[in-house]
Amino acid sequence: MKTYTYQRSRELFEKAARLIPCGIYGHFSPAPLIPPDHYPFYAEKAAGSRFTDVDGNEFIDYMCAYGPMVLGYNHEGVDRAAAEQLRKGNCLSAPSPVMVELAEKLVDTVAIADWAYFAKNGGDVTTYATMVARKATGRNKIILIKGGYHGVAPWTQGYGHHGITEDDGRHIIRIPWNDIPALQAAIDQNPGDIAGFMACPYHHPTFVDNVMPADGYWQNVERLCRQHGIVLMVDDIRCGFRLDIRGSNEYFGFKPDLICFCKAIANGYPISALVGTDAIKNDAAKVFYTGSYWFSAVPMAAAMATIDEMKRIDAVGLMLAYGEKLRDGLIATAKRHGFDLKVTGHPSMPYLRITDDPSLMLHQKWCGECTRRGAFFTSHHNWFVSSAHTAEDLALTLQIADEAFEAVKKQS
Amino acid sequence: MNYETTLAALNLQAVLPNLMDLVRHDPTAAAIAASRDICIQFLVRGGPAAYVAFKNGACTVENGQRADADVKLWFASCRHLNRMFKNQANPVPIKGLTRIGYLTKEFKKITARMEHFLTPNDNALAQPDYMALNTLLTLNTAARAICILVEGDKAARNVAAGMPDGTLLLKVLPDGPAAGITFRNRRATMTAGETEKPSALMLMKDLKTANDLLNQKLDPFAAIALGDVRIWGQTPMIDCLDLILERIPHYLQP
Repeated sequence: MKTYTYQRSRELFEKAARLIPCGIYGHFSPAPLIPPDHYPFYAEKAAGSRFTDVDGNEFIDYMCAYGPMVLGYNHEGVDRAAAEQLRKGNCLSAPSPVMVELAEKLVDTVAIADWAYFAKNGGDVTTYATMVARKATGRNKIILIKGGYHGVAPWTQGYGHHGITEDDGRHIIRIPWNDIPALQAAIDQNPGDIAGFMACPYHHPTFVDNVMPADGYWQNVERLCRQHGIVLMVDDIRCGFRLDIRGSNEYFGFKPDLICFCKAIANGYPISALVGTDAIKNDAAKVFYTGSYWFSAVPMAAAMATIDEMKRIDAVGLMLAYGEKLRDGLIATAKRHGFDLKVTGHPSMPYLRITDDPSLMLHQKWCGECTRRGAFFTSHHNWFVSSAHTAEDLALTLQIADEAFEAVKKQS
Repeated sequence: MNYETTLAALNLQAVLPNLMDLVRHDPTAAAIAASRDICIQFLVRGGPAAYVAFKNGACTVENGQRADADVKLWFASCRHLNRMFKNQANPVPIKGLTRIGYLTKEFKKITARMEHFLTPNDNALAQPDYMALNTLLTLNTAARAICILVEGDKAARNVAAGMPDGTLLLKVLPDGPAAGITFRNRRATMTAGETEKPSALMLMKDLKTANDLLNQKLDPFAAIALGDVRIWGQTPMIDCLDLILERIPHYLQP
């Protein structure tokens, strides 16, 4: 199998590094793509489950733009809806009717939702959720899970990280995942001052195995929040619409007060949403929070089409089925080569790790070898599958994985 | 630890040990060290202790006390010691008064030499020998400083709380220098040179890259993507290390 080279990516990056801090920053930074010379840095075009880089190499994409691509790149129905709205207008001096339609769509789709509020990024709505929780309770503290990720606003980052002051995290309490006694202790130690609890539906930090909620975990969290008047917030930005179209909380059987959505909501068009229950609607109304592009209508039209299409084709079911086949196929392929591949998390967002090397170096080598053969695998982050991944993709992926294991064995 | 205590530990346990490499690699320092066998003890009330021993032309710097030290220098506080390192105060000799001449002449010359190699400018760094020694000293100072900061500095301690256990190897290619930093139970220890089975690797392609990286003249993310700095393994260790390194200039300004 031919292995890819990345001359044009490299040239572009060298130029970028002179003009842009990090060259490419944030979660798209190539720094965790190890070894970086096995990875493309710039994409030229995409369709369905695949993208093509600036050197003409095609990849079956298992990152799906880090989550937003859920129905396939350049999805005809979504793009048509977006284009039609664009012809009518995008950023105008008043919101478009599609905003009301989308709110209604979310309320009809997400089980707990009585209202919806739109922004652009996941971090917009996680921050807004904490403000609403504080407004609703008149309290200060927010409980988060250690290792959990809720964006890049200063309150989400730890003291000692670049640009973060100790005060930024003054009202943040971090407790371990799946630890009800720790939650109880945090409540006891801050009597009457816990405004909210925020966590992802399951624990999916980078670099380590993902962990599902223990039996009864979410139900106990919900019970304690109700008992102590704490606003229960779910960060469903990564999982949202991949586990259950009604909200990932339905998958795990509990009812939060607020849910943060982004990524999969509009198949790549920029929009995020906070949805909540009636009980907290007036508090949400009183928190002033906005942004220059938050009313743009094109992503709202795209979100309408995305949600409709996801329901029509049972995208959640398709992703689950593909994810299970991918997981089983990769584990079997690894086993044939004498490696133990551990897959954690939900099958539509798997995190993989070769257990034979705790340093992750072996896993990094394998992911790099797969990528340079056409299956875009990252070694540090959970992957994403989409409803556009096909049987042909699966067969080619397993063939690539097989050859990459062979290459890794030869190197070691 | 408060600021002065942490700085005192850095001065005695991260900066002073550079005398060992200095004597090993700098002929001028080696010539001074060869002039006499002597052990100098640094004692700080309520603070760290260390000693510098010159013997047979080699230098040893260790933490703690040595009963047979020839000279004992006492400091009333960590701040007193730190002021001496800034040439703003003098120690109180409590043993070896007859050897004060050595302190004011030879030892002062050798510490001045160390300062010369630890405070680079662009002209000096243009000289290959200077840059090589500056890189070695900076690498080892940084590695030792990390071990102190994860206990003494609040921000570094907070970062280290998220650090997985294991050893991170920093190495300048093709053949060194190198330093290993082992994190275990939120504490760190440093090993000069190579280490076996590291959990994470940070490989710098040459001395210039290493020097720029250690002196924070390089965009590390871009350098990694370009392959000038190669990382492998437990990347969170490298992320945490970067954050702790950032704390060094809060104490040790070049």
